[in-house]
Amino acid sequence: MGDTPAVETKALTRIFEPKKKKEGKTVTALDRVDLRIEKGELFGLLGPNGAGKTTLLKILSTLLLPTSGKAYVAGFDLEKDFVEVRRRINMVSGGEISGYGLLTVRENLWMFTQFYGIKSRDAKDRIDSLLDQFGLSDKRDEKVRTLSTGQRQKMNVVRGFVTDPEIIFLDEPTLGLDVNASRVIRDYIIDWVAKGKDKTVLLTTHYMAEADQLCDRIAIIDEGKILACNTPANLKKMVRMNKTFTLDVTLLADKSVLGTVKGVDKFTYVDDAEKNLTHLKFVLTDESAVSDIVSDVLRNGSKIVSLQKTEPTLEDVFIKMVGKGFE
Amino acid sequence: MAIVSGLRTFKNAAWLGWEMEANWTDPFLFAIYSIVKPLAGTLILVFMYLVITQGETQTMFFSFMYVGNAFYMFVADVLFGVTWIIHDDREHYMTLKQVYIAPINFRNYIFGRSSITIAISSFGVLLTLIFGVLVLGVNIDFASVNWPLFIAALVLGLATLAIMGLALGGVTFLTAKHAMGINEGVAGIFYVLSGVIFPITILPGWAQSISKFLPVTYWMEGIRRGLEPSVVAQLGPATGLQGFSDLQLMFILVVTAIVFLFVSLGIFRYADKVARRKGKIDWTTAY
Amino acid sequence: MKDGWIKRNLRAVRGRAYPRVIGSTREPSWILFDVALPLLTVAAYAYIYKFMDAPKEFVGFVILGGAMTAFWLNILWSMASQLYWEKEIGNLSLYLMAPISRMSILAGMAVGGLFETTLRAASTMAIGILVFGIALSLSSPIMLIIVFIVTMISLYGMGMMFASLYLLFGREAYHMSNLMTEPIYLASGFYFPVKYLGFWAAAGASIIPITLGLDALRQLFYPTTGAAYRFLSTDAEAIILGILCVVFIVLSKLSLDYMEKLGKTSGRLTLRWQ
Repeated sequence: MGDTPAVETKALTRIFEPKKKKEGKTVTALDRVDLRIEKGELFGLLGPNGAGKTTLLKILSTLLLPTSGKAYVAGFDLEKDFVEVRRRINMVSGGEISGYGLLTVRENLWMFTQFYGIKSRDAKDRIDSLLDQFGLSDKRDEKVRTLSTGQRQKMNVVRGFVTDPEIIFLDEPTLGLDVNASRVIRDYIIDWVAKGKDKTVLLTTHYMAEADQLCDRIAIIDEGKILACNTPANLKKMVRMNKTFTLDVTLLADKSVLGTVKGVDKFTYVDDAEKNLTHLKFVLTDESAVSDIVSDVLRNGSKIVSLQKTEPTLEDVFIKMVGKGFE
Repeated sequence: MAIVSGLRTFKNAAWLGWEMEANWTDPFLFAIYSIVKPLAGTLILVFMYLVITQGETQTMFFSFMYVGNAFYMFVADVLFGVTWIIHDDREHYMTLKQVYIAPINFRNYIFGRSSITIAISSFGVLLTLIFGVLVLGVNIDFASVNWPLFIAALVLGLATLAIMGLALGGVTFLTAKHAMGINEGVAGIFYVLSGVIFPITILPGWAQSISKFLPVTYWMEGIRRGLEPSVVAQLGPATGLQGFSDLQLMFILVVTAIVFLFVSLGIFRYADKVARRKGKIDWTTAY
Repeated sequence: MKDGWIKRNLRAVRGRAYPRVIGSTREPSWILFDVALPLLTVAAYAYIYKFMDAPKEFVGFVILGGAMTAFWLNILWSMASQLYWEKEIGNLSLYLMAPISRMSILAGMAVGGLFETTLRAASTMAIGILVFGIALSLSSPIMLIIVFIVTMISLYGMGMMFASLYLLFGREAYHMSNLMTEPIYLASGFYFPVKYLGFWAAAGASIIPITLGLDALRQLFYPTTGAAYRFLSTDAEAIILGILCVVFIVLSKLSLDYMEKLGKTSGRLTLRWQ
């Protein structure tokens, strides 16, 4: 990782004032945000709706000026050197409706490449290659208005990557997409960062699993403030020391002995007579207690149907930080 | 139930139409806009006339032209308004499909939206007439206005315009972002051929034959006979419609309104079906 | 390999012109509406002059004015309000993020729309001349071309300036275009010589390039009788238009930059329906 970060913000603040007092109140969308994203990172910004994620991205992509504080992209001051910044970035938003319905996919994409100074032939080669990778080759000559939602979003993602930016901002890129489409996009993002030299991604999302899967580091943001910034594993470690296990066994008559096993902090159960199962849930201070629990279950004549270890999730992290789940 | 539902749709659409027309700026600017726009359009003709007649406005022909041009605002605004509704909802706000699939009569929605256009245009027309009478000496004697004829002609004419707008709205489903072209064209046909700013007797014979098939021709005549009977009387055969009595004129207006109702409904229904078949209800055509 | 600043902006012009050109070929319904139908309004005014026994050249003035409405409407609806509409359909932020001048985007729109606009204007002229039997002089073709070019450059420069204003006026954009259609037809003397508005009104209206452009074209098309209806001489008008070219291009750059900064500060630049 180089010395110059891909993105750096210092006490970045953005306040929105209503046009007229009666039209609403002042909103602090970003509140003294300090962030540093190194080159080559796949960085996630996690937060609920209205947390300030999109506002931050708009500032970093030169669409919005901060009220105070500083921001640098690829080492360039956003306010003074925005042209240099624009040469090095691109942005894709979820649910984007940009483009012209009358043009074909290829034509739309070509048009945008021309704004980045890419020679026509090179642009067409890149477009074709990316469309192929995203499974849109057969849609190349179809008019944009005929695309499904997932296809349109894939096209938008292609538009973002076709200019080969140093830094790409992805604002909820898989919003509203099905599993396959989302997976294609995620796989491409991972691949792009891994294979590119110092390619950086700043991804906003409120899909926990997506952030967990993709990101090297995650910042949790709420009400314009960064609450935490670390790797997903370290963030989860902040939540609890205890381990949670879920054990499904055939209907267990006597459960009392399970609560007395050494290493068991808490234990709950639910009997499902219809399925002849007992669902047991343990919070353990010592993971080795699992073997004693299994022995006790078997000794009582029950059989093990399934055993699952539940790790703390990012949602757990978020709830702990913010005190609420995602709305 | 259907009537109640239809009225509710009409009312809600009218409310939306008002919000769309008036909510774009503060009331003062909206008032300026509502005054300047209609007057400016009228003054083009006024200046054209003044240039040639060296400033003389107190002539029968000037009154004829002025009144026709004032009421023509309804034609332009209603026809434009309806096509713009479809275009705007579809291309800019992308709400057309949501409205379209709602359990309402879409025609009532169009009528409701265009009713506001008529209401706003009425203000412009009235303002223009007042300006003409007070400042330019347009010959309207309120004591000799034939109110029953004028009101009947006005109502029938506006209804016919709204109905024609429906047909144009249907056509707009099928065309790209050329809504202005459609309304401009159709309104232009009326402007030239319907005796709006000059009597149809100026036109070549074949054009006059077409004029006599257009409802706006009779509408203009009915408006003038009601509002400025002395002007029409003095112009006499020059108007080209002196052979029709007031009652015949009203009858023709009623018949053309009914004919256009069926024609417009037919065009709208057909265009709607084609648009649905071709997936054009929610297409976007901006470039 | 990426280009330098000039090449990049020229590519951007080409890129943005492309949808306009392709759009007009893929949806050819405009041909009927833009070619045949605008002539109707022009015909109405021509008949009015005929009815009033106006001098024959007045019918020619109407045809010329009607043809030039194509350019004015293009300025209002396809340039000035275009950035606003691009915001509504979601393209504006992508344009603003790109490392190109905003003027390149607008220039691309202008170039792309030129085909349709020119065809509309030319057809109005051609059909009007044929139908009404107008005779126009082409004795000064070079001056005609010069006047036309400087009128267009200054007009489109003004359109770019409007585009920046519209970006910030937001919802008012469509209504602004509506408001500026007929008042400008009146003030700029589209259908009658502008000098009849009075010297000061005509002088004020001359800030709209099409005012002087039309006046000069009228004199060039009617060299014998045109002088009686002129506001200023064609040479003076061509010079003023040349100055307006520079003024509007500079002003448009300044206003686009200023409005963009204002929009980014207030946060309304990419907000729809603002």
